[in-house]
Amino acid sequence: MTTRKLLQSALALAVVAAPLAVFTASHREAPITALDRAADITDWYSFVSYDDPSKMTMVLSVDPLLEPGNGPNYYPFDPEILYEMHIDNNHDAVTDLTLEFRFQTEQRLPGVFTGFVGNLVGIPPITALDGAGSEGLGTRQTYSVVAVKGNQRLDLTGGRKLIAVPSNVGPRTMPNYQALYNQGIYDLGYGIKVFAGTTDDPFYIDLGAAFDSLNFRPAAGGGVLSPTDDNNNTVNVAPDEVSGYNVNTIAIEIPIQYLTQDLRVHTNAEPAAVLGTYATTSRQQITVRRTPREGGGNLGQGPWRQVQRMGNPLINELIIGTGFKDRWSMESPTNDGQFVQFYARPLLADIFKSIGVPIPAGDRVDLAPLVTYSGPTIPAGTPAGPVADLLRINTGIPPTPAAQQQRLGLLTLLDGNPNNNDAAGFPNGRRPDDDVLDIAGRAVAGILVDPATYGTRIGDGVNVNDMPKRATFPYVPPAHDGRNSRHVDPNEPGCAGVCPPGL
Amino acid sequence: MQTTRWMLAAAVVVVAGSAQALSAQSPPLRPVPPAAAPAPGAESPAERKMVIARKKIARDPKHFHGYNELAMALTQRARETADPAFYAQADDAVKTSLALSSDNMEALKVRAWSLLGQHRFAEAHVLATQLNTKVPDDLMVYGMLTDANIELGKYDEAEKSAQWMLDLRPGNIPALTRAAYLRELFGDVEGAIELMQSAFNRMPYQETEDRAWVLTQIGHLELVRQKPAAAEQVLQQALDLFPNYHYALGQLADVRTAQKRFKDAAALQQQRYTVAPHPENLFELAEAQARAGMSSDAAKSYAAFELGAKAEMMKDDNANRELIAYLAGAGKKPAEALALAQKEIAKRGDVYTREAYAWALFKNGKRADAKREIATVLAVGVQHPRVLERAALIQGTAAAKTAAR
Repeated sequence: MTTRKLLQSALALAVVAAPLAVFTASHREAPITALDRAADITDWYSFVSYDDPSKMTMVLSVDPLLEPGNGPNYYPFDPEILYEMHIDNNHDAVTDLTLEFRFQTEQRLPGVFTGFVGNLVGIPPITALDGAGSEGLGTRQTYSVVAVKGNQRLDLTGGRKLIAVPSNVGPRTMPNYQALYNQGIYDLGYGIKVFAGTTDDPFYIDLGAAFDSLNFRPAAGGGVLSPTDDNNNTVNVAPDEVSGYNVNTIAIEIPIQYLTQDLRVHTNAEPAAVLGTYATTSRQQITVRRTPREGGGNLGQGPWRQVQRMGNPLINELIIGTGFKDRWSMESPTNDGQFVQFYARPLLADIFKSIGVPIPAGDRVDLAPLVTYSGPTIPAGTPAGPVADLLRINTGIPPTPAAQQQRLGLLTLLDGNPNNNDAAGFPNGRRPDDDVLDIAGRAVAGILVDPATYGTRIGDGVNVNDMPKRATFPYVPPAHDGRNSRHVDPNEPGCAGVCPPGL
Repeated sequence: MQTTRWMLAAAVVVVAGSAQALSAQSPPLRPVPPAAAPAPGAESPAERKMVIARKKIARDPKHFHGYNELAMALTQRARETADPAFYAQADDAVKTSLALSSDNMEALKVRAWSLLGQHRFAEAHVLATQLNTKVPDDLMVYGMLTDANIELGKYDEAEKSAQWMLDLRPGNIPALTRAAYLRELFGDVEGAIELMQSAFNRMPYQETEDRAWVLTQIGHLELVRQKPAAAEQVLQQALDLFPNYHYALGQLADVRTAQKRFKDAAALQQQRYTVAPHPENLFELAEAQARAGMSSDAAKSYAAFELGAKAEMMKDDNANRELIAYLAGAGKKPAEALALAQKEIAKRGDVYTREAYAWALFKNGKRADAKREIATVLAVGVQHPRVLERAALIQGTAAAKTAAR
C-alpha cells in the first residue's frame, strides 16, 4: 500500500511544487546560490578519522556536478571566494575556531589553448604538481590555510606552497593521476594534514527519480526498500545519477585536542567531546556607496558576505521553504530561530503523510537533535544551546573501521540488530559514504520517535557510491578521468553485482 | 526623461531574474492582441520571447505560465520601442493569468513590473512590498522595490533594497545596474560606470537590447563626467548592437550638443522622434532645433509638443517634467508651469521632479523657495549638468556651482 502510494507522489507534489528542491545533498538548492556555482556548497562532512581516532577530519565540497571532460579550463576554485570551516566547541552555536582557505591562480602556459597539456609538442606528461613533471600544468592553483581563534590568526602552511590537485584530464596528459592526488596531501606538522583539489563527488542518489516528483524506480520499491535491499551496503538497485561527476574538495585532518574548548581529548560521556561544525562560502560585499580609500580613490567592496552555509545535509533542501532558502544561506546559525517553523513542521513530512506514510502528529520535537545539542549521542549535561543548524559530533565515539561502516550510520542502532551498529555515522557527524538521503528521509518520517511505527524503509535504491571507499585521508576518491569516465544511465538498473562496478 | 530612461530599464532584471521565475505555457481565454510579425531572423529579443510565449499559449491555453511569459516579453518590448501600448497588452495577459490562477506569484510580479513601466510608482511600491513579504528571497521583487523607491525619491530605502540585492549574490546584474544608478544619483559617477561596466561584462551575448541599454547608460555617465569622446564610442557600440535604439540616439544627440554640433544633434533627435514619437522626445527635438538655429522648425516642434504633452498630462506616464520646462521657458507660461509642478511634487519626490519644481518656483520669482528646493536636490549628490546649471542660476552665484560639485 505504502509502496503504491509513494509511486503516486508525483500527484502530491504537483500541489506543493515549491519544495521540489528536495533530495540532493545540496547541489544547487537555493535559487540564488544556484546561479553561483563556485560558491555552492555541495556537501559538508565532519567525522573522527577512520584510521586514527585521535583526529577529526572535515571535508568541504563545492561546485556541483562537474563534468570530468569539460576542458579547456575545467573547474578551478574561485580566488574571489573565502572558503571557511567553523567549529563551535562550547555548545552556544557561536564559532570558536575557524579555518580559512583562499586560492590563487597562476597561468604558467599563457600561450597554450588549454589549462593542462602533456605528452604533446615537447611538453612531458604531468607527473608532478611542482618542479620537473609539472611543465604541462598550465593552470595551477595554490592556497592558504589560516586558523582563526578570537583575534588570533595562525598561518598553518608554515610557509609551504600548497598546490591544489587539478582535474583528472586523462591518461595521456596525466598518466598516473593517483600519484598527483597523493602529492596533493600535505603534512603541515602537529598532526595536521590538508588536501584541496578536484575529486569524485562521493554523494550518491537517483537524482532524476527524486526530481521527477519522487518517482522512484520499481526496483527500489517505488521509494520503500525491501528488507534485503535495505540491508545491502554494496548493491544499487537504481542508478546513481551523480556517478561520474566531480566536485571541488577541501579536506583537513586535525588532532581532536586542537578543536575542543580545553584542548584535551574527551570520552564520549563528557560534554566537552561534542563539537558543532558548519562550512561557509563568502564573497566580498559590493556596496552601493563607495568609501574613500586611503591614499586616494574609492573602495566599492566591503567586508565578506556569506553566500552559503551547510551544517547538516539536506536542511536547506528538505526543510526550508523555497522563498527563504537564500536568506537562510546568508544567515549565521545563531539566527536559525527565525526558521524554527520549518524545523518543527517539515513540509516533506506532510507529503509523506499525504501518500500514506505514517508520520508522528504535532510539532516534530524528535528532529531537535538536528538543530540543538540533544539526542542519543549527546552526553547528559551538555547544554542544548540555541536552535542552529550545525553538524554535531561526539568526538569521543570511536570511529567505525571503513570496511565495517554502515550506510545508515546511527540509524543502525534502531534496527534491533546488534551486529551492524555504527554509531560513528550521520547524524553523529557525517562521513562521505553515509546515505544521508535515506537517513534524512526516515528521520523526517519519524523513525527517531518510534522505529516500529514510523520506521518506513524510505530509500532511493542507491546505497553506495560509484567509486571505491577511501579509507585514509582525505577519505574522498580521486577525480574521474575526463577521457574515459562515464555516468550510469537512467536505464541501467544499477550495479548487477557488487558496486562499484569494475571501476 | 531621467525617469523614463531608468524605469523602462528595469527589464535588465529580466535577464538575470526571470529565467527561472517566468517559465511559461498557455493561450488566452480572451484573445491577446496580435503582434505584427517581424521578418524571420530580424526579431528583437523581446519579439522572440513573444513568439515563444504565444506558441506555448496556443499549445496549452488554460495554463497561466504562458501568459506570464508573454506579459514579461511585452514589457520588454515596451522598452525596446518606447511604446506604452505594450503595457496595456501585458496587463491583459496578466489578467488572464490571474483568472486562471488567482494567486500566482509570477503574474503578480509582472503586474508590479508593468505598474513601474507605466509610472504608477506608488501602486508598484505597495504591490512590491506585499510580494517581498510573501517571498523574501525574490531578487526581482527587490529590484522593483528599489525602482519604486528611487522614483518616489525614497533614496534611503532604495539604497537598502539595492544593498540587499548585492548581498544576496554579489555580482548579479539587476543589483549592479540599480546600484550604479544610485551611485550616479549620489554623485559617484565613476563608481556608477564601474558597476555598469561590470554588469555589461556579465550579460548574456544574445540579450542585445539589454546590452545596448547598459552601454547607453555608460555613454550617459561618460557625458556626465564630461568625456564626450568616450561617450560617443560606447553609444556607437550600443547602436551597432541595437540599430536605431531610441535611448542611444537621444544620448548621442546630447554628445553632439556637448561637441557644439547642434545641427547633428537636431538630426539625431529627429531620428529618435521618428523611432519613438512621444512628446518628451519631441521636446528634446525642439530644444535641439532651437540650439541649431532652426527657429521655424523649433517653433513647430514646441507647439506640437505642447499639444501632445497636455493631452497626456493627466496620465501616469506623461511628459510633465518636460512640459514644466517648456512652460517655464520657451512657452512663457511660468504660472502654468508652477501649478503643474506642484501637482507633480505631490505625487513623487525624486530629484528630477524636485529640480523641475525648483525651476518653476525660480521662474515665478519665488527665489527663497526655489533655493530651498534645489538644496534638497543637491543634498542627494546628483551631478547631472542640467541640474547643476539650474542650481547655479537659482542660487545665483558661481560659488554655488562649485559647491554643487
